[in-house]
Order: sequence, then C-alpha cells, then structure tokens
Amino acid sequence: MILYSSLILLGIVADAWLLTLVALRIRRFWTKATFAALALSFIIMGGSYVGTAEGFLPASWEGVTLGALVLAHPLTAILVLSLIHGEVLPRRRPLIFLLLVPVPFLAALAPVGGWSLNVVYAANPLGGFLVLSMAIALAETIYARITSPLMAAESFWLSAGLVALLVAGPIYGYELQALSFPDSAGSNVATPIALGAFALVAFHGNPFPAAYPVARRRWRGEGALGDGLTFVFDETRPKYAGVIARSEAGRGRPVLILSRTSSAGTRTGGRPLEAALEPTRYAALRTLGTASEFVTRAPGSLVAIPELADLSAIAGWARTRDMLLRMRVLCRLAGSSLLLTTSRLTEAEREDLRGLKMPWWPLPDPADEIEAILARSFGTGAGRLLESFERAQHLARGQLTTAHVEALTAFLEQAVGELAVGAGDAKAVQGLRDQVSLASQALRAYAARNPADLSRGDWPSKESGPADREFLVRAADYWKGKEMEELFTTAQALSSRESLYDRAKAVFTEHLGDAGESLLRTELTKLGRTPADLGPADLSRLADRAAVDLAVMADVVDVPQERDRIAAAVESIRRRLATLGGDDL
Amino acid sequence: MDRRILQSLVRSVLLFLLSIVLVAGFYFHSAFYSVGLYPLLLIGGFVTFLVILGARLILLGELPRGRPSGELTFGLEEGDRVQRQIVSLVVLPVEGRDVPVVGQAVRGRYETGIEFGRLLVVDVGRKFLSEITEEEAKRAGYRTVEELRAAGAVRFRWRPDDVVAVLGIRPLGVRA
Repeated sequence: MILYSSLILLGIVADAWLLTLVALRIRRFWTKATFAALALSFIIMGGSYVGTAEGFLPASWEGVTLGALVLAHPLTAILVLSLIHGEVLPRRRPLIFLLLVPVPFLAALAPVGGWSLNVVYAANPLGGFLVLSMAIALAETIYARITSPLMAAESFWLSAGLVALLVAGPIYGYELQALSFPDSAGSNVATPIALGAFALVAFHGNPFPAAYPVARRRWRGEGALGDGLTFVFDETRPKYAGVIARSEAGRGRPVLILSRTSSAGTRTGGRPLEAALEPTRYAALRTLGTASEFVTRAPGSLVAIPELADLSAIAGWARTRDMLLRMRVLCRLAGSSLLLTTSRLTEAEREDLRGLKMPWWPLPDPADEIEAILARSFGTGAGRLLESFERAQHLARGQLTTAHVEALTAFLEQAVGELAVGAGDAKAVQGLRDQVSLASQALRAYAARNPADLSRGDWPSKESGPADREFLVRAADYWKGKEMEELFTTAQALSSRESLYDRAKAVFTEHLGDAGESLLRTELTKLGRTPADLGPADLSRLADRAAVDLAVMADVVDVPQERDRIAAAVESIRRRLATLGGDDL
Repeated sequence: MDRRILQSLVRSVLLFLLSIVLVAGFYFHSAFYSVGLYPLLLIGGFVTFLVILGARLILLGELPRGRPSGELTFGLEEGDRVQRQIVSLVVLPVEGRDVPVVGQAVRGRYETGIEFGRLLVVDVGRKFLSEITEEEAKRAGYRTVEELRAAGAVRFRWRPDDVVAVLGIRPLGVRA
C-alpha cells in the first residue's frame, strides 16, 4: 500500500498547491471560496485515507474519510456550476445548494445503513446521492457546451475534470484490482487532475487587474442611468459613454470602465475604476469575470464597456453576445447598470444588439454639434475656429467631447481679447464679444444636456437645414465680414503658440533629459489628465506630485553629490512649474 | 537523421503506445465491457474513434488551438515578409468579411492561392481607417500611413471613415 498511499500523498500536495495558487492569483472571491471548499474536502479525504491505511490514524477516522468523500461530491457540483454561472449561481440555480442538506444525514446514517467506503458507489441511497451530484455537474457542463458560445471551450475542461473524478472513483476499481490495490475505496488519485482542470477554467475567467473596491452596501444615489438596466449608446465614437461614466462617478456611484485604452487598474478619488481589456482568447470570459467581481462588491454600480467592438474583434461576436446576456442578468440582479456603445460595431453586430431589446439611445458626435453651434455665430468660419482650437489643444477631431467646451469658450474669449488689444474699432470688437458670449452660452447649454435628453434627437445640427444654414452663414459674413476674418486669424495665431504641455515638457526635459517627458506623462496619468486638457490649475498639483516622486528617487541614491543634484533639480522643476501655472492663471 | 523521418518515427511510436493502452483497457475492463457484441462494437468503436482522432490531432500539432480556420491573403512580397516576421500587422475592412479572432490559427496564402504557412492571431482591434498610426502602418509593411491607405483603397475600396480591423499576427511554424 505504500506506493498507492504515496500517490495519494502526492495528490494532496498537488491539491494544496492548486488551492494556494487559486487563493493567491484568482481575483474572484466566489470562485476562490467554492474552489477552496472542494480542495479542502479532497485534502481531508486523502489525508484521512492515507492515515488510516498506513496506521497513523485509528480506524474510526474512516468516518472522516467517508464524510469528506460525501461532501466532496455536492461541492464538486457547486464548483462546476459556479464556474459556469459565476456569482449569479445562488439566484439562477439556487436548488444546487440543496445538495448540501443530505450530507450530514447521509454521513451520520452510513454506519447504520452499512454504507462503508467499500460500497460507497453501490446501489444504496448514499451511492444514488453521489451519482446524482456528479450527474448534475456533468449535465450542466454538457448543457453549457451546447447553449453557450462563451462556455463551450471551458465545458471541455470541466467535463475532463469530472470524467477524471468518475474514472478514478467508481470506475478505477478495475485497474486497482489488476494492480493488486483492493483497498482504494475512499480515495481518488484524480483529484489533482480535476482541480487542475477547474483551476484552468477559473484562470480563463480571472478578472483583469484593477483596484477592486472592498465589498460595500448597494449605492442608492440618484444616477443619470436607471438601476438594473443595460443601456446602449448609439454613437460613432464612444464619447458620451466616457462623459456619463465620469459624471456618475462624480456623484459617488461606483463606476467601472472596461476598455483597451484604459490604464490598467487605476482609480483616483471621484473617478471611475478603469480596467484594461487584454487581447487574449478568453477576453470575453475575463470581461464577464471583471464585471461580476466589481458588481458583486459594489451593488448599484455602473459598468461601462465603451469599446464593445474591440471585445467583439478579440473574442468574436458570438462570445461577446453571450457575455452581454450574462452580464445583463448579473447587473439586473445586483441593481447595477450596464453601458455599451455601438461605436465601430459592424452592421450585423449592431442589428443583433438591437434585437436584444435594450434601451437604445442614438447620440450625436459632440464635435459636429459644437461646430453647428459655432456656425450659428460665426458662419462658415466655425470649422476654422474649431480646427484652430484642436491644434492648440493637440486634439484630433475624434477626441473632441463636451468636456472640452470650457476650454473652447476660454479659447474664443482669449482670441477676442487679443483682437481687442490692437483693434481700433471698439464697436466691432464689442459685437464680436457678444457673438462669442452667445456661442459660449449655447455651447455650455449643449454640454449640460444629458444623454437621455439628447437621445430624443433635437440636436443643434438638426435645428436648421443645410439650405437655411447656408443662408445664415452668408448673412453673418455679409455684415460682420472683416472683424470675423480677424477673429479667425487671431485664433489661428493662438493655436500656433506653444501649449502648456509643451512648456511643462520643456521644464522636465531640461532637468531630466529624455526621461523627463515620460515622467511628465506618468504624472499626468496619475492626475487623470492628458496633454490636451492640462490646465494652469493642474500645474501646482503636477509640481507637488513630481517633487514627491523625484524625492523618493533621490532618497535611494547612495552617492551624496548625485542625490544633491537630483534634489536641486526637483526644487527647480517645482519652482518653474509653479511659475508657469502662475503665468497662465 | 532527416527531420521528417524522425518526426514520423516519434509519431508512430506514440500511436503504438496508445494502441497498447487501448488494448490493456479492453483487457482490464473485460467485465465492464460485457454489454454484448453489437453495443460494444458501436459504443467501443465510437470511443476508440474519438481517442484515435484526438491523438491524431495532437500528433499533427493542431491542438490545443485546433485546426486552422479562415485564411489571410497576401501579395508575394508581403507574404514573404510575413514569414520572415517583418510584417506583424494586417489591416482589413470589417464589413462583409469574417475577421479572425485572437488565438485563432489561420492559413496564410499568396494571392495566387498557394498556402505558405499558418499564422496565429495574437491581437485584434478595431479603428477608423483615419486613426491608423504611422507605427501601425510600418508594422503592416508600409512606409507611411498614406501608402497603406492607398494600397487598401485599390484592394478594398475603403474610405477614411471606414472601420478596419488591425490584426497582430505571428507565423506558426507549421508549414503546408
């Protein structure tokens, strides 16, 4: 028996290793909990079996072996169903937990009924219960294989684990007899294989790295998006999805943004948690796992997937669609909202998504609407003004959102201000000021509109037909003429000036060389800013953060002269940035 | 020894070992298989078929990724550059075609139809054609973005506001 016991002991070591691996690396609490329960029951079963077989433990410990063996069967079924359904298992298949009820009774009745380890799979109530548990797990796995594109590949590994347990349990007796191991009842050499297969599935659905919040009560504030619903923003570029996610986070609602361009796992106060989609074969499953973990920890939250098309490209539409259906159920049960956009989806995917009957909000491209608003005041020159602004802010047209409205109005006011300095015609300048003021009001009013309001379709670009707009432009140009042209020229001159980011970059690279730019970008990311939206008010925070980070770097330098040099550079950068901020304020 | 002969030998040995395991299984499970000749022929035959099929797929190097499905077509020069891993990115329009997903193995073909190798898709993203960067154009084997757009305009008749798939690819080593 030494050889067989050694095999079981090796299996226990492997089980313990898998348990540790899952406990340390898997980010889903529910998966970890169910996996740990099964692994521990396998470890106890194997340990007590080896102990009694080798005489380290009294024969009475066979009861423990039997109890662990009986418990392991429903736990196997629960783990398998958990891996398929995730955190919604208690709501979707609550009856599975009833399998745990008979365990203490069957273990207690075993001595009375004569259900020893040797006849554990015989035709008796205990054997029937064990077979039923495994049959439920296997049936659910096969059902998942047939019905779920998302779980089809995973069901293979789940089936492999279950079949391994079956073969090494009830069926393996033949081989053991052939190899003269008659007393194997109560042990199972395939537990590491099964746990390995289950762990593999758990890793395939492991959430993306992120700073997940601690479990909290359901958020019950007033949000712009209703609870428990899935919203689809029909927009060319996912601009409003980002705006609303930040707006909801600003109200204190827990928000998760899943996208390719997210910086992995970052979150700052009052800002959404961001998780980066990784391009793996299991991206859809991992996205579901990420959302599940977040929503479970923060009920009432908002999960936004602004780049659904990327997920579809990575994992395929069939899996993405299945993932969405599962996520919709998850969010409904947790009172959370799910936000998707149609940006870059193919026509077929859009139609299929529309068929899922989710609230569908057609939204405009803010860049087009901003241009339409500017056109009311500045006629055909609106495009030129906007281009000047984009150049000044280092923005592509596709990046322009309502978040830039304040910067745009400031830009327009600055342009008029500069024009007024050298202009002789005060009346004309005042007229331009009034136009800018009107445009600014209209822009702010537009930026304040929420997506629900905009989804009704009354957009600035639709307010006047092309013919009317053409007429309006000509009229405006006719009576403003020269002043307008001067405004456009001034705006273009403004855009050609060095941006705040460029000036800050010059400070960093002057002191730190090429590494200065990457440090600046890192600090901007930490501040949640981009080069385009870096404002004078951010410079003091930027200076403080950079000073702290560089001081930490200086502390680890052993050479005193070098440390002093870095410290001097830190102080100089801080001072220059503060001056820069003051200059612009 | 020639590499192909060695591979063939190793595969034959593995298949022989599998056959021994199957026969041993029949022997030890004689009681289990006492279900009658015809059920045994049907059920046992089906199971054995699955085992041999699985072994064949493994030996041909088609698992765990499975058989290659789909294909990517390249010009003669471009195909050669893909094989030499100079080109690691492919830009394709998404409308009206099946674009491979991450982890999918596809056949790489010349425009003449000849298969030159198998490719693994390691990354996919979607962009507007106007958003393709210089870096991506270079990885796709073009000197500039304009060159890439011009080449695609002839081949795919695409426009700047079209959505394209940007595929990261890697040759799989298995040659046809």
